[in-house]
Amino acid sequence: MEIGDTYYSKDEYVETASGNKVSRHTVLCGSQNIVLNGKVIVQSGAIIRGDLANVRAGRYCVISKDSVIRPPYKQFSKGIAFFPMHIGDHVFVGEGAVVSAASVGSCVYIGKNAIIGRRCVIKDCCIIEDGAVLPPETTVSSYMRYTAKGTIEGGQGNPYFVPAAMQDEMVKYTKAFYEHFVRTPAI
Amino acid sequence: MPTENSIKIMPKAVVCEESNLRGDITFSAGCVVHPSATVIAEAGPIIIGENCILEEYTTIAHRLQAGASWNANNILSIGTHNVFEVGCTVEAARIGDKNVFESKCFVGPGVTVPSGCVVGAGIRMHTEQLLAENTIVYGQQALQREGMEKQSSQTLQIDFLRKVLPNYHHLRKPNHDPKKARSVV
Repeated sequence: MEIGDTYYSKDEYVETASGNKVSRHTVLCGSQNIVLNGKVIVQSGAIIRGDLANVRAGRYCVISKDSVIRPPYKQFSKGIAFFPMHIGDHVFVGEGAVVSAASVGSCVYIGKNAIIGRRCVIKDCCIIEDGAVLPPETTVSSYMRYTAKGTIEGGQGNPYFVPAAMQDEMVKYTKAFYEHFVRTPAI
Repeated sequence: MPTENSIKIMPKAVVCEESNLRGDITFSAGCVVHPSATVIAEAGPIIIGENCILEEYTTIAHRLQAGASWNANNILSIGTHNVFEVGCTVEAARIGDKNVFESKCFVGPGVTVPSGCVVGAGIRMHTEQLLAENTIVYGQQALQREGMEKQSSQTLQIDFLRKVLPNYHHLRKPNHDPKKARSVV
């Protein structure tokens, strides 16, 4: 799939030495606890709650507009604890998604407005459909598709739900997204 | 709607400065308001009870009906121990105690929520209705059932947030003395 160029204004985005492109209109709480491993795009309106626990995102992640990345908590008999959250490489988080997973593997596609409940585990090469709601503590194993209807489909090498080349597709897609996310050329 | 915002924050409430508050809003003791939460008191004052949690992108609105204007007696009162999770929009007419509004749910005007209710993630409630106590609204068709199990209390989470949030956020200062308020009432 070819992606057209998306332009951003120079004033809006900050580019770090490792190639992260972070909008100024994001709410990054507790930024000392947020690790973006390079070439991560964080678009405007996104919220990453590093104040609650550590958040690590791998390379070539895309965190779209108005999405919320929020470490999960668990209630114990005395007190609660927030757990650190790991996001793998080449993960796409769609607009308005709420991600409260314990871990997200690599090459995962999370659709628009998806809600990922507390302490979910999402393995590599999954697709979470737009608007899907994952109840807390769900595990989605690799190459599975979590549908908006609430079913988990695919697996056993079934290519009808998640393409067999999901890894390559996501690597290509997120890299292309990064390459085509460019600053508006000066006139 | 009066042009001046009047935000009253009782002692021990934790209200982040990055929240959007408009109109006449009272936060009781022990409330926790995360950044980017929105509270709009358009039709009348909003009073939020003790120990409520408002997470990110929560919108609580007391909207004007067509043709109506600001009425200081038209109070939207929200009870104690309510949790508004990420991205929920609540415009309910009245809200009792110990309710949970899960992520991205929408509760329209005309819905009355008593106590102990749970509105599941992503559910949209538009029609005017009165929920029974301890109702749980769940699933794709927004089915309703009565909750048998008791909701676990959120006090532990509030304690944690009250410890952590001041370390990372600028907070709005508590500016309201409950003793003074009592003398007014």
